[in-house]
Amino acid sequence: MSGGGDGYLKPLPTVTHEDREFWAAAREHRFVLPKCQACGHVWFPPYASCPACLSFDRGWTEASGRGTVWGFTIMRQPYIPSFEPELPYNVVLVELEEGPMVYSNLIGIDNADIACGLPVEAVFEDATDEITLIKFRPV
Amino acid sequence: MSDREFAGKTAIVGIGGSDFARLYRTPDPERTGEALATEAIAAAIADAGLEKSQIDGLITGGLPHYEPVAYRTGLTDVRFVVDYPQAGRMCAMALMHAATAVHHGLADYVVLFNSVAFRSQGVKFGAQPQGLLYDTIYGMASPGAQYSMGFTRYQAEYGGTEEQLGAIPVAIRSHARMMPGAIMQAEMTIDDYLAARYIAEPLRLFDYCLVNDGAVAYVVTTAERARDLAHPPVLIAGTAGRANFREWYVDLGFWDEACRSMKADLFDPLGVTTDDIDCLQVYDNFSVSVLWGLEGFGFAPKGQGLEWVQNGRIALGGELPVNTSGGMLSESYLQGWNQHAEAVRQLRGQAGDRQIPDCDWSLYWCLSALPGATLLCRDGLL
Repeated sequence: MSGGGDGYLKPLPTVTHEDREFWAAAREHRFVLPKCQACGHVWFPPYASCPACLSFDRGWTEASGRGTVWGFTIMRQPYIPSFEPELPYNVVLVELEEGPMVYSNLIGIDNADIACGLPVEAVFEDATDEITLIKFRPV
Repeated sequence: MSDREFAGKTAIVGIGGSDFARLYRTPDPERTGEALATEAIAAAIADAGLEKSQIDGLITGGLPHYEPVAYRTGLTDVRFVVDYPQAGRMCAMALMHAATAVHHGLADYVVLFNSVAFRSQGVKFGAQPQGLLYDTIYGMASPGAQYSMGFTRYQAEYGGTEEQLGAIPVAIRSHARMMPGAIMQAEMTIDDYLAARYIAEPLRLFDYCLVNDGAVAYVVTTAERARDLAHPPVLIAGTAGRANFREWYVDLGFWDEACRSMKADLFDPLGVTTDDIDCLQVYDNFSVSVLWGLEGFGFAPKGQGLEWVQNGRIALGGELPVNTSGGMLSESYLQGWNQHAEAVRQLRGQAGDRQIPDCDWSLYWCLSALPGATLLCRDGLL
Protein backbone atom coordinates (compact mmCIF):
# COMPACT_ATOMS: atom_id res chain seq x y z
CA MET A 1 0.00 0.00 0.00
CA SER A 2 1.35 3.41 -0.87
CA GLY A 3 0.27 6.69 -2.29
CA GLY A 4 -0.33 6.60 -6.02
CA GLY A 5 -0.27 9.23 -8.70
CA ASP A 6 -2.96 11.86 -9.19
CA GLY A 7 -1.73 13.76 -6.13
CA TYR A 8 -3.36 11.30 -3.73
CA LEU A 9 -0.82 10.72 -0.96
CA LYS A 10 -2.64 8.45 1.46
CA PRO A 11 -2.23 4.68 1.45
CA LEU A 12 -3.91 2.86 -1.40
CA PRO A 13 -4.89 -0.78 -1.58
CA THR A 14 -2.64 -3.24 -3.35
CA VAL A 15 -5.10 -4.80 -5.74
CA THR A 16 -4.74 -8.58 -5.96
CA HIS A 17 -6.29 -11.39 -7.92
CA GLU A 18 -8.65 -11.91 -4.98
CA ASP A 19 -10.13 -8.43 -4.83
CA ARG A 20 -9.64 -7.02 -8.36
CA GLU A 21 -13.35 -7.32 -9.15
CA PHE A 22 -14.27 -5.60 -5.90
CA TRP A 23 -12.13 -2.56 -6.74
CA ALA A 24 -13.26 -2.56 -10.36
CA ALA A 25 -16.87 -2.35 -9.19
CA ALA A 26 -16.03 0.40 -6.70
CA ARG A 27 -14.52 2.39 -9.54
CA GLU A 28 -17.94 2.18 -11.20
CA HIS A 29 -19.47 3.34 -7.88
CA ARG A 30 -20.91 -0.06 -7.17
CA PHE A 31 -20.43 -1.78 -3.80
CA VAL A 32 -20.22 -5.53 -4.35
CA LEU A 33 -19.58 -8.34 -1.91
CA PRO A 34 -18.39 -11.87 -2.66
CA LYS A 35 -21.19 -14.40 -2.52
CA CYS A 36 -20.77 -18.15 -2.54
CA GLN A 37 -22.54 -19.81 -5.44
CA ALA A 38 -22.56 -23.10 -3.52
CA CYS A 39 -23.93 -22.09 -0.11
CA GLY A 40 -25.00 -18.46 -0.42
CA HIS A 41 -22.64 -17.09 2.22
CA VAL A 42 -21.59 -13.44 1.82
CA TRP A 43 -18.21 -12.36 3.11
CA PHE A 44 -15.60 -9.60 3.26
CA PRO A 45 -12.69 -9.06 2.59
CA PRO A 46 -13.02 -10.65 -0.85
CA TYR A 47 -11.05 -13.85 -0.46
CA ALA A 48 -11.16 -16.15 -3.46
CA SER A 49 -12.95 -18.89 -1.55
CA CYS A 50 -15.95 -19.11 0.74
CA PRO A 51 -14.92 -19.27 4.42
CA ALA A 52 -18.16 -21.10 5.25
CA CYS A 53 -18.03 -24.03 2.82
CA LEU A 54 -14.57 -23.62 1.19
CA SER A 55 -16.03 -23.49 -2.30
CA PHE A 56 -14.09 -21.50 -4.88
CA ASP A 57 -17.28 -20.93 -6.85
CA ARG A 58 -17.43 -17.24 -6.00
CA GLY A 59 -19.96 -14.81 -7.39
CA TRP A 60 -20.77 -11.24 -6.44
CA THR A 61 -23.81 -9.59 -4.97
CA GLU A 62 -24.68 -5.90 -4.97
CA ALA A 63 -24.56 -4.58 -1.41
CA SER A 64 -27.30 -2.22 -0.33
CA GLY A 65 -24.64 0.10 1.03
CA ARG A 66 -26.62 0.42 4.23
CA GLY A 67 -25.34 -0.45 7.65
CA THR A 68 -24.86 0.79 11.17
CA VAL A 69 -21.83 2.05 13.05
CA TRP A 70 -20.64 -0.73 15.37
CA GLY A 71 -17.81 1.28 16.91
CA PHE A 72 -15.56 4.21 16.16
CA THR A 73 -12.37 5.87 17.24
CA ILE A 74 -10.98 9.33 16.78
CA MET A 75 -7.36 9.15 15.65
CA ARG A 76 -5.34 11.83 17.43
CA GLN A 77 -1.73 11.01 16.61
CA PRO A 78 0.21 11.03 13.32
CA TYR A 79 0.78 7.32 12.75
CA ILE A 80 0.48 7.68 8.98
CA PRO A 81 2.15 10.87 7.75
CA SER A 82 -0.27 11.38 4.86
CA PHE A 83 -3.22 11.40 7.28
CA GLU A 84 -1.60 14.01 9.51
CA PRO A 85 -3.35 17.04 7.93
CA GLU A 86 -6.71 15.46 8.76
CA LEU A 87 -6.09 14.89 12.47
CA PRO A 88 -8.24 14.33 14.37
CA TYR A 89 -10.12 12.04 12.02
CA ASN A 90 -12.56 9.22 12.61
CA VAL A 91 -12.38 5.57 11.69
CA VAL A 92 -15.55 3.53 11.98
CA LEU A 93 -16.37 -0.15 11.87
CA VAL A 94 -19.62 -0.55 9.97
CA GLU A 95 -21.85 -3.58 10.25
CA LEU A 96 -23.35 -3.99 6.79
CA GLU A 97 -26.95 -5.01 6.27
CA GLU A 98 -25.63 -8.13 4.51
CA GLY A 99 -23.60 -9.13 7.59
CA PRO A 100 -19.93 -8.36 6.93
CA MET A 101 -18.04 -5.74 8.91
CA VAL A 102 -16.02 -3.08 7.07
CA TYR A 103 -13.68 -0.34 8.21
CA SER A 104 -14.23 3.10 6.78
CA ASN A 105 -14.46 6.81 7.48
CA LEU A 106 -17.68 8.62 8.21
CA ILE A 107 -18.13 11.87 6.28
CA GLY A 108 -20.70 14.63 6.59
CA ILE A 109 -20.76 14.55 10.39
CA ASP A 110 -18.78 16.13 13.21
CA ASN A 111 -16.63 13.63 15.06
CA ALA A 112 -18.40 14.61 18.28
CA ASP A 113 -21.74 13.48 16.85
CA ILE A 114 -20.65 9.97 15.84
CA ALA A 115 -22.40 7.28 17.84
CA CYS A 116 -22.61 3.53 17.85
CA GLY A 117 -25.76 2.30 16.16
CA LEU A 118 -25.91 5.26 13.79
CA PRO A 119 -27.50 4.23 10.47
CA VAL A 120 -25.18 4.98 7.55
CA GLU A 121 -24.99 4.53 3.81
CA ALA A 122 -22.08 4.07 1.44
CA VAL A 123 -20.66 6.89 -0.63
CA PHE A 124 -17.94 6.62 -3.24
CA GLU A 125 -14.83 8.73 -3.10
CA ASP A 126 -12.58 8.60 -6.16
CA ALA A 127 -9.04 8.59 -4.81
CA THR A 128 -7.19 8.04 -8.09
CA ASP A 129 -8.14 7.09 -11.62
CA GLU A 130 -7.95 3.46 -10.56
CA ILE A 131 -9.10 3.39 -6.96
CA THR A 132 -12.39 4.50 -5.47
CA LEU A 133 -12.76 4.19 -1.71
CA ILE A 134 -16.06 3.32 -0.12
CA LYS A 135 -16.90 5.68 2.74
CA PHE A 136 -20.11 6.22 4.67
CA ARG A 137 -22.38 9.07 5.69
CA PRO A 138 -25.30 9.25 8.10
CA VAL A 139 -28.62 8.34 6.50
CA MET B 1 -6.53 -28.01 28.25
CA SER B 2 -9.33 -29.71 30.11
CA ASP B 3 -7.39 -32.68 31.35
CA ARG B 4 -7.48 -33.45 35.06
CA GLU B 5 -4.64 -35.95 34.70
CA PHE B 6 -2.34 -33.37 33.12
CA ALA B 7 -3.08 -30.64 35.66
CA GLY B 8 -0.14 -29.96 37.92
CA LYS B 9 2.09 -32.54 36.30
CA THR B 10 4.42 -29.85 34.97
CA ALA B 11 5.98 -26.81 36.56
CA ILE B 12 7.87 -23.60 35.98
CA VAL B 13 11.12 -24.05 37.87
CA GLY B 14 13.27 -21.12 36.80
CA ILE B 15 12.72 -17.55 35.69
CA GLY B 16 15.08 -14.92 34.34
CA GLY B 17 14.63 -11.50 32.87
CA SER B 18 16.18 -8.18 31.99
CA ASP B 19 16.56 -4.97 33.95
CA PHE B 20 13.89 -3.28 31.84
CA ALA B 21 14.37 0.19 33.30
CA ARG B 22 18.10 0.20 32.57
CA LEU B 23 17.52 -0.93 29.00
CA TYR B 24 14.85 1.73 28.59
CA ARG B 25 17.23 4.47 29.71
CA THR B 26 19.96 3.31 27.35
CA PRO B 27 18.55 2.46 23.94
CA ASP B 28 21.26 1.07 21.70
CA PRO B 29 20.87 0.37 17.98
CA GLU B 30 23.41 -2.45 18.32
CA ARG B 31 21.43 -4.20 21.05
CA THR B 32 20.15 -7.54 19.85
CA GLY B 33 17.31 -9.75 20.85
CA GLU B 34 19.76 -12.66 20.88
CA ALA B 35 21.90 -11.04 23.57
CA LEU B 36 18.87 -10.14 25.68
CA ALA B 37 17.57 -13.69 25.33
CA THR B 38 20.93 -15.16 26.28
CA GLU B 39 21.03 -13.16 29.50
CA ALA B 40 17.48 -14.20 30.39
CA ILE B 41 18.18 -17.86 29.58
CA ALA B 42 21.31 -17.88 31.73
CA ALA B 43 19.39 -16.30 34.60
CA ALA B 44 16.49 -18.75 34.29
CA ILE B 45 18.75 -21.81 34.26
CA ALA B 46 20.67 -20.52 37.26
CA ASP B 47 17.44 -19.71 39.08
CA ALA B 48 16.29 -23.27 38.59
CA GLY B 49 19.57 -24.58 39.98
CA LEU B 50 20.25 -26.50 36.78
CA GLU B 51 23.30 -26.94 34.60
CA LYS B 52 22.96 -25.73 31.04
CA SER B 53 23.82 -29.23 29.86
CA GLN B 54 20.56 -30.46 31.38
CA ILE B 55 18.45 -28.29 29.05
CA ASP B 56 17.23 -30.45 26.18
CA GLY B 57 14.35 -28.41 24.82
CA LEU B 58 14.26 -24.89 23.40
CA ILE B 59 11.29 -22.72 22.52
CA THR B 60 12.31 -19.42 21.00
CA GLY B 61 10.17 -16.32 20.66
CA GLY B 62 10.44 -12.84 19.27
CA LEU B 63 13.55 -13.36 17.16
CA PRO B 64 13.86 -13.36 13.38
CA HIS B 65 15.49 -16.77 13.47
CA TYR B 66 16.01 -19.45 16.10
CA GLU B 67 19.55 -20.64 15.34
CA PRO B 68 21.57 -17.56 16.35
CA VAL B 69 20.42 -17.77 19.96
CA ALA B 70 21.23 -21.48 20.05
CA TYR B 71 24.79 -20.70 18.94
CA ARG B 72 25.12 -18.01 21.58
CA THR B 73 23.81 -20.19 24.39
CA GLY B 74 25.39 -23.44 23.30
CA LEU B 75 21.94 -25.04 23.23
CA THR B 76 22.89 -26.60 19.93
CA ASP B 77 22.06 -30.25 20.51
CA VAL B 78 18.67 -30.17 22.18
CA ARG B 79 15.97 -32.73 21.46
CA PHE B 80 13.01 -30.40 21.03
CA VAL B 81 12.88 -27.03 19.23
CA VAL B 82 9.97 -24.77 18.40
CA ASP B 83 10.09 -21.22 17.12
CA TYR B 84 7.29 -18.78 17.88
CA PRO B 85 6.84 -15.50 16.04
CA GLN B 86 7.04 -12.17 17.77
CA ALA B 87 3.52 -11.92 19.07
CA GLY B 88 2.26 -11.46 22.58
CA ARG B 89 -0.64 -13.71 21.83
CA MET B 90 1.78 -16.66 21.64
CA CYS B 91 2.75 -16.46 25.32
CA ALA B 92 0.18 -18.94 26.59
CA MET B 93 0.67 -21.10 23.51
CA ALA B 94 4.40 -21.41 24.18
CA LEU B 95 3.81 -22.48 27.78
CA MET B 96 1.18 -24.96 26.62
CA HIS B 97 3.71 -26.38 24.20
CA ALA B 98 6.51 -26.57 26.76
CA ALA B 99 4.31 -28.30 29.33
CA THR B 100 3.05 -30.80 26.79
CA ALA B 101 6.58 -31.56 25.65
CA VAL B 102 7.98 -32.32 29.10
CA HIS B 103 4.87 -34.21 30.15
CA HIS B 104 5.26 -36.56 27.22
CA GLY B 105 9.01 -36.90 27.51
CA LEU B 106 9.88 -35.03 24.33
CA ALA B 107 12.33 -33.15 26.53
CA ASP B 108 13.18 -33.13 30.22
CA TYR B 109 13.91 -29.44 30.72
CA VAL B 110 12.60 -26.92 28.22
CA VAL B 111 13.81 -23.36 28.26
CA LEU B 112 11.47 -20.91 26.59
CA PHE B 113 11.76 -17.18 26.15
CA ASN B 114 10.49 -14.04 24.52
CA SER B 115 12.95 -11.34 23.52
CA VAL B 116 12.26 -7.93 22.05
CA ALA B 117 14.40 -4.92 21.19
CA PHE B 118 11.48 -2.76 20.09
CA ARG B 119 12.78 0.50 21.53
CA SER B 120 16.34 0.14 20.32
CA GLN B 121 15.13 -0.88 16.89
CA GLY B 122 12.69 2.02 16.70
CA VAL B 123 9.67 -0.22 16.19
CA LYS B 124 6.50 1.83 15.83
CA PHE B 125 3.35 -0.19 16.22
CA GLY B 126 0.68 0.94 13.86
CA ALA B 127 2.96 2.75 11.44
CA GLN B 128 3.32 -0.27 9.20
CA PRO B 129 0.81 -1.13 6.50
CA GLN B 130 -1.63 -3.77 7.60
CA GLY B 131 -3.53 -4.43 4.46
CA LEU B 132 -4.84 -7.65 5.93
CA LEU B 133 -7.68 -5.77 7.55
CA TYR B 134 -8.54 -3.36 4.69
CA ASP B 135 -8.23 -0.60 7.24
CA THR B 136 -4.99 1.31 6.64
CA ILE B 137 -6.54 2.99 3.59
CA TYR B 138 -8.94 4.64 6.04
CA GLY B 139 -6.19 5.69 8.42
CA MET B 140 -6.72 2.91 10.94
CA ALA B 141 -3.24 2.62 12.24
CA SER B 142 -2.63 0.92 15.51
CA PRO B 143 -3.69 -2.03 17.61
CA GLY B 144 -4.72 0.48 20.27
CA ALA B 145 -7.12 2.12 17.83
CA GLN B 146 -8.84 -1.24 17.46
CA TYR B 147 -9.31 -1.56 21.22
CA SER B 148 -10.41 2.08 21.33
CA MET B 149 -13.14 1.28 18.83
CA GLY B 150 -14.20 -1.57 21.08
CA PHE B 151 -14.36 0.76 24.04
CA THR B 152 -16.70 3.21 22.28
CA ARG B 153 -18.96 0.26 21.61
CA TYR B 154 -18.66 -0.99 25.19
CA GLN B 155 -19.60 2.43 26.52
CA ALA B 156 -22.60 2.55 24.17
CA GLU B 157 -23.79 -0.82 25.47
CA TYR B 158 -22.98 -0.51 29.14
CA GLY B 159 -22.03 3.08 29.96
CA GLY B 160 -19.02 3.97 32.06
CA THR B 161 -16.53 6.79 31.89
CA GLU B 162 -12.94 7.29 30.83
CA GLU B 163 -12.17 8.31 34.40
CA GLN B 164 -13.43 4.93 35.60
CA LEU B 165 -11.22 3.19 33.06
CA GLY B 166 -8.26 5.11 34.47
CA ALA B 167 -8.49 3.11 37.68
CA ILE B 168 -6.84 0.20 35.86
CA PRO B 169 -3.60 1.91 34.72
CA VAL B 170 -3.44 3.84 38.00
CA ALA B 171 -3.55 0.64 40.08
CA ILE B 172 -1.03 -1.10 37.85
CA ARG B 173 1.32 1.90 38.04
CA SER B 174 1.21 1.76 41.83
CA HIS B 175 2.56 -1.80 41.56
CA ALA B 176 5.37 -0.86 39.18
CA ARG B 177 6.60 1.62 41.76
CA MET B 178 7.27 -1.35 44.04
CA MET B 179 8.99 -3.44 41.36
CA PRO B 180 12.75 -3.17 40.87
CA GLY B 181 13.50 -2.81 37.17
CA ALA B 182 10.02 -1.63 36.21
CA ILE B 183 10.18 1.13 33.63
CA MET B 184 7.47 3.50 34.84
CA GLN B 185 8.31 4.47 38.41
CA ALA B 186 6.66 7.90 38.64
CA GLU B 187 3.54 8.22 40.73
CA MET B 188 0.40 8.49 38.62
CA THR B 189 -2.91 9.81 39.92
CA ILE B 190 -6.21 9.69 38.09
CA ASP B 191 -5.70 13.37 37.26
CA ASP B 192 -2.33 12.56 35.69
CA TYR B 193 -4.03 9.83 33.67
CA LEU B 194 -6.78 12.16 32.45
CA ALA B 195 -4.30 14.94 31.65
CA ALA B 196 -2.33 12.74 29.24
CA ARG B 197 -2.95 13.08 25.52
CA TYR B 198 -5.37 10.98 23.59
CA ILE B 199 -3.79 8.49 21.23
CA ALA B 200 -6.91 7.00 19.67
CA GLU B 201 -9.78 8.65 21.51
CA PRO B 202 -11.20 7.59 23.92
CA LEU B 203 -7.94 5.80 24.83
CA ARG B 204 -5.10 7.91 26.22
CA LEU B 205 -1.37 7.51 26.51
CA PHE B 206 -1.50 5.52 29.73
CA ASP B 207 -4.11 3.10 28.42
CA TYR B 208 -1.32 1.89 26.13
CA CYS B 209 1.44 -0.52 27.04
CA LEU B 210 5.09 0.43 26.80
CA VAL B 211 7.35 -0.21 23.81
CA ASN B 212 10.72 -1.30 25.19
CA ASP B 213 13.58 -3.79 25.12
CA GLY B 214 14.08 -6.91 27.17
CA ALA B 215 13.68 -10.63 27.50
CA VAL B 216 12.10 -13.09 29.91
CA ALA B 217 12.89 -16.79 29.99
CA TYR B 218 11.59 -19.67 32.04
CA VAL B 219 12.46 -23.30 32.49
CA VAL B 220 9.70 -25.89 32.48
CA THR B 221 9.96 -29.50 33.57
CA THR B 222 7.81 -32.15 35.17
CA ALA B 223 6.49 -31.53 38.68
CA GLU B 224 8.32 -34.65 39.81
CA ARG B 225 11.70 -33.31 38.74
CA ALA B 226 10.74 -29.84 39.93
CA ARG B 227 10.57 -31.01 43.53
CA ASP B 228 14.33 -31.67 43.54
CA LEU B 229 15.24 -28.19 42.34
CA ALA B 230 16.16 -24.87 43.90
CA HIS B 231 12.75 -23.30 44.55
CA PRO B 232 9.27 -24.46 45.46
CA PRO B 233 7.74 -25.64 42.15
CA VAL B 234 5.08 -23.48 40.56
CA LEU B 235 2.67 -25.91 39.01
CA ILE B 236 1.07 -25.45 35.61
CA ALA B 237 -2.51 -26.24 36.56
CA GLY B 238 -3.75 -25.65 33.05
CA THR B 239 -3.33 -23.87 29.77
CA ALA B 240 -6.07 -22.92 27.33
CA GLY B 241 -6.46 -21.30 23.98
CA ARG B 242 -9.43 -20.18 21.96
CA ALA B 243 -8.72 -18.45 18.70
CA ASN B 244 -10.78 -15.44 17.81
CA PHE B 245 -9.55 -14.61 14.32
CA ARG B 246 -11.65 -11.81 12.88
CA GLU B 247 -11.08 -9.48 9.96
CA TRP B 248 -11.87 -6.74 12.42
CA TYR B 249 -9.69 -7.01 15.49
CA VAL B 250 -11.86 -6.55 18.54
CA ASP B 251 -14.34 -9.29 19.26
CA LEU B 252 -17.91 -8.00 18.96
CA GLY B 253 -18.74 -9.50 22.35
CA PHE B 254 -15.55 -8.19 23.97
CA TRP B 255 -14.10 -11.73 24.00
CA ASP B 256 -16.85 -13.02 26.23
CA GLU B 257 -17.13 -16.37 24.46
CA ALA B 258 -13.38 -16.87 24.31
CA CYS B 259 -13.09 -16.14 28.03
CA ARG B 260 -15.93 -18.50 28.92
CA SER B 261 -14.38 -21.26 26.85
CA MET B 262 -10.93 -20.85 28.39
CA LYS B 263 -12.35 -20.54 31.88
CA ALA B 264 -14.27 -23.78 31.43
CA ASP B 265 -11.13 -25.52 30.18
CA LEU B 266 -9.03 -24.25 33.08
CA PHE B 267 -11.41 -24.20 36.03
CA ASP B 268 -13.99 -26.92 35.53
CA PRO B 269 -11.75 -30.02 35.61
CA LEU B 270 -10.22 -28.80 38.87
CA GLY B 271 -13.33 -27.44 40.55
CA VAL B 272 -11.58 -24.08 40.80
CA THR B 273 -13.75 -20.95 40.94
CA THR B 274 -13.02 -17.26 40.62
CA ASP B 275 -13.03 -17.06 44.43
CA ASP B 276 -9.92 -19.25 44.50
CA ILE B 277 -7.85 -16.87 42.38
CA ASP B 278 -5.46 -14.79 44.47
CA CYS B 279 -4.04 -12.61 41.74
CA LEU B 280 -4.34 -11.86 38.07
CA GLN B 281 -1.18 -11.43 36.01
CA VAL B 282 -2.78 -10.63 32.67
CA TYR B 283 -2.00 -9.22 29.25
CA ASP B 284 -2.55 -5.49 29.61
CA ASN B 285 -1.65 -4.38 26.10
CA PHE B 286 -4.39 -1.83 26.63
CA SER B 287 -6.31 -1.05 29.79
CA VAL B 288 -9.55 -2.28 28.28
CA SER B 289 -8.16 -5.81 27.91
CA VAL B 290 -8.15 -6.05 31.68
CA LEU B 291 -11.72 -4.77 31.88
CA TRP B 292 -13.07 -7.23 29.33
CA GLY B 293 -11.24 -10.18 30.83
CA LEU B 294 -12.55 -9.40 34.30
CA GLU B 295 -16.07 -9.60 32.90
CA GLY B 296 -15.46 -12.52 30.57
CA PHE B 297 -13.94 -14.71 33.29
CA GLY B 298 -16.74 -13.75 35.64
CA PHE B 299 -14.83 -11.75 38.23
CA ALA B 300 -16.96 -8.70 37.52
CA PRO B 301 -20.61 -8.77 36.45
CA LYS B 302 -21.12 -8.20 32.72
CA GLY B 303 -21.20 -4.52 31.96
CA GLN B 304 -20.15 -3.53 35.48
CA GLY B 305 -16.42 -3.98 35.22
CA LEU B 306 -15.65 -0.28 35.32
CA GLU B 307 -17.47 0.13 38.61
CA TRP B 308 -15.91 -3.08 39.87
CA VAL B 309 -12.30 -1.90 39.48
CA GLN B 310 -12.80 1.25 41.55
CA ASN B 311 -11.61 1.92 45.10
CA GLY B 312 -8.45 -0.13 45.05
CA ARG B 313 -10.06 -3.48 44.39
CA ILE B 314 -7.38 -4.48 41.86
CA ALA B 315 -4.45 -2.86 43.68
CA LEU B 316 -2.18 -4.66 46.11
CA GLY B 317 -4.04 -4.90 49.39
CA GLY B 318 -7.33 -5.06 47.51
CA GLU B 319 -9.59 -8.00 46.86
CA LEU B 320 -7.94 -9.09 43.61
CA PRO B 321 -4.56 -7.53 42.78
CA VAL B 322 -3.88 -7.28 39.05
CA ASN B 323 -0.41 -7.17 37.49
CA THR B 324 1.50 -6.81 40.70
CA SER B 325 4.82 -6.05 39.00
CA GLY B 326 3.36 -3.30 36.83
CA GLY B 327 2.30 -5.35 33.83
CA MET B 328 2.95 -4.16 30.32
CA LEU B 329 1.44 -0.76 31.06
CA SER B 330 4.17 0.12 33.56
CA GLU B 331 6.76 -2.64 34.09
CA SER B 332 7.67 -3.87 30.62
CA TYR B 333 6.04 -4.89 27.37
CA LEU B 334 7.35 -8.44 27.37
CA GLN B 335 4.02 -9.62 26.01
CA GLY B 336 2.73 -11.72 28.87
CA TRP B 337 6.08 -13.20 29.79
CA ASN B 338 6.85 -10.69 32.55
CA GLN B 339 3.40 -11.42 33.98
CA HIS B 340 4.27 -15.11 34.21
CA ALA B 341 7.58 -14.29 35.90
CA GLU B 342 5.68 -12.25 38.47
CA ALA B 343 3.16 -15.05 38.97
CA VAL B 344 6.05 -17.38 39.74
CA ARG B 345 7.50 -14.93 42.28
CA GLN B 346 4.10 -14.53 43.96
CA LEU B 347 3.44 -18.27 44.10
CA ARG B 348 6.92 -18.94 45.48
CA GLY B 349 6.44 -16.27 48.12
CA GLN B 350 9.35 -14.26 46.71
CA ALA B 351 7.60 -11.04 45.69
CA GLY B 352 9.05 -8.96 48.51
CA ASP B 353 7.03 -5.84 49.31
CA ARG B 354 4.52 -6.86 46.68
CA GLN B 355 3.88 -10.29 48.15
CA ILE B 356 0.23 -11.28 48.34
CA PRO B 357 -0.35 -13.23 51.56
CA ASP B 358 -1.08 -16.94 51.04
CA CYS B 359 -0.94 -16.64 47.28
CA ASP B 360 -2.05 -20.02 45.93
CA TRP B 361 -3.48 -19.41 42.44
CA SER B 362 -2.59 -16.98 39.67
CA LEU B 363 -4.50 -16.59 36.41
CA TYR B 364 -3.22 -15.18 33.12
CA TRP B 365 -5.17 -14.21 30.04
CA CYS B 366 -4.47 -12.49 26.75
CA LEU B 367 -7.36 -11.09 24.75
CA SER B 368 -6.25 -10.67 21.17
CA ALA B 369 -6.83 -12.40 17.86
CA LEU B 370 -5.50 -15.51 19.57
CA PRO B 371 -6.68 -15.50 23.17
CA GLY B 372 -4.81 -17.72 25.55
CA ALA B 373 -4.92 -18.31 29.29
CA THR B 374 -2.89 -20.13 31.89
CA LEU B 375 -3.53 -21.12 35.48
CA LEU B 376 -0.61 -21.56 37.86
CA CYS B 377 -0.60 -22.67 41.47
CA ARG B 378 1.59 -23.59 44.42
CA ASP B 379 2.65 -27.18 44.89
CA GLY B 380 0.39 -29.36 47.00
CA LEU B 381 -2.91 -27.98 45.73
CA LEU B 382 -3.52 -30.50 42.96
